[in-house]
Amino acid sequence: MENYLSTEFRRATPLFLEEARAKGRYRTAQRVFETLTPEQVVDEVKNSGLRGRGGAWFPTGIKWSFMPKEPLKGPSYLVINADEGEPGTFKDRQIMEKDPHLLLEGILIGSFAIRAETAFLYIRGEYKLAHDTLAQAIAELEAAGILGDAAFGTKRKMRIVLHRGAGAYICGEETALLNSLEGRRGEPRPKPPFPAVWGAFGRPTSVNNVETLANVPAILEKGAAWYKSAGTAQAPGHLLFGVSGAVERPGCFELPLGTTARELVERWAGGVKGGRRMKAFIPGGASTGFLPPDRLDVPMDPESLRKEGTMLGTGGIIVIPEGVEIVDAARVFSRFFRHETCGQCSPCREGSAWSDQVVGRFQRGEGRTEDFVLLDAIMRGSKQRTICVFPEAFAGPLGSAVKHFKDDLMAVSARRAAADAGSGAAAHGTASHG
Amino acid sequence: MSALRALPSRYPQARGALLPILTRLQEWRGHLTPADMRLAGELVGVAAADVFSVVTFYTMYRQRPVGRFPLGVCRNIACWVNGSEQLVATVRETLGIGPGETTPDGLFSLEEVECLGSCGSAPCLEIDSCYFEQQSPVSVKALLARLKAGAGDAAATLAAAHADAAAELRRARDGRP
Repeated sequence: MENYLSTEFRRATPLFLEEARAKGRYRTAQRVFETLTPEQVVDEVKNSGLRGRGGAWFPTGIKWSFMPKEPLKGPSYLVINADEGEPGTFKDRQIMEKDPHLLLEGILIGSFAIRAETAFLYIRGEYKLAHDTLAQAIAELEAAGILGDAAFGTKRKMRIVLHRGAGAYICGEETALLNSLEGRRGEPRPKPPFPAVWGAFGRPTSVNNVETLANVPAILEKGAAWYKSAGTAQAPGHLLFGVSGAVERPGCFELPLGTTARELVERWAGGVKGGRRMKAFIPGGASTGFLPPDRLDVPMDPESLRKEGTMLGTGGIIVIPEGVEIVDAARVFSRFFRHETCGQCSPCREGSAWSDQVVGRFQRGEGRTEDFVLLDAIMRGSKQRTICVFPEAFAGPLGSAVKHFKDDLMAVSARRAAADAGSGAAAHGTASHG
Repeated sequence: MSALRALPSRYPQARGALLPILTRLQEWRGHLTPADMRLAGELVGVAAADVFSVVTFYTMYRQRPVGRFPLGVCRNIACWVNGSEQLVATVRETLGIGPGETTPDGLFSLEEVECLGSCGSAPCLEIDSCYFEQQSPVSVKALLARLKAGAGDAAATLAAAHADAAAELRRARDGRP
């Protein structure tokens, strides 16, 4: 299957409307608006097996089928989650900065499928360039009459509201995002009710990731059977994999789901930087945790990674080289999650802080074997006891560090303790901080 | 002001405009004052205390003045593996400030920030959400000197430096196999 997500990624400037239409963009959306019913669109996407690229991998067509059908008792909304913030993830940014109309065509088709006349595009505050690019692309569509009171000359109204966030990882969680869109603190909401019943501004809402929607035009153009010819049986299609960290050529690579981590790292990203050996890799963003290099042949799809006790997440591989200690990398994450917990549920607020302190102890050479019991108790005591799955996220790097690198953690702690003792009282003074 | 007043009508409920209004208010002064928060509250019909609870939740809202060029160095994993600590050290050596500090002339302040989504072009430094990617101690030193020299027109200097950095990154990428 030829690439259909990343064709414009090497451009210097974004693909704007005139050139985009010359390349056939919006022909599919126009056909959808003029000739199909919402059910037909939902069925095609359901049959394609498309699953959400934001990290949860829920089937998109099924999510859409939960939305209300005629007679509608009020507006439904499409909300686009462009709050890309999972460390190791930078794919949605490429789409928005280089090929805004790919996303916007997906938004039009998605809105049609769920009978929404308004789509809210929630983009993280830091993505200023992507925001400005999309603002220009949306203005082009308004001027062309594709957005407005008669989308594609049909009776359907369509508008897209671009909305900037203000810095909060948790707003990538869909109900936190909805609260943030409504002008509130970005705290996740208890579910049920699910967004399809009570979403943005109290109305039925489908929240979909940027890359997910970018898959939709190709599915409607070429059909579900074409789409299923790439990827795995349970996770068809291409994915924008990220490879970052200590590699020769970090970047975003469009490949079929099920491509092995080894192929991504060694062939596409040029291997570990400087010819070093690999200490560990993270398969799909911070919350998926560490895997040892002997798992590099794992196919990158949701089911294969679940068998390894982790997740595909966002498909953003991060390579940790030999010479970097797992405990120091784990501390980067524990500090991050401690900073980013929204704080409304005590097990998460306290658990993220305690676990950061424990990792800090190992980092300073004060790790004890009973700390593993403590870490396990923190993780078990916070998972499934909170409104959202944030504790599962911070347990990813922690649990995997303990599972795969326990001896390493103890050895590094002991080595630092010995170095500390050897260097005298002054070193002890600094080591007791943080 | 009229641009601010138009924002609430974009949303089914006026409060939806709160974040965009706060973002624009902050652009004027670089931070948000209690008066800004009262004004934002009036525009969307919520109490100032409620606005304050929102402002304190999001990391991009500031309640204290920062430098004219607020530097943010990403400290998360991909940037850290690629030397973000050296970038912080370079700023410290060149300007004499650490995270949370501002230079006495008010030109620069420094902050360590979390993942910016620049993992594929790490390490990243941002200034008012303009990304300077694949940075090194050498490039950061040159950037700081350029910003300082052009501080008279901070916005234009930043825009020009940003455009050059983006072009440089493109050249580095296109040159590779």
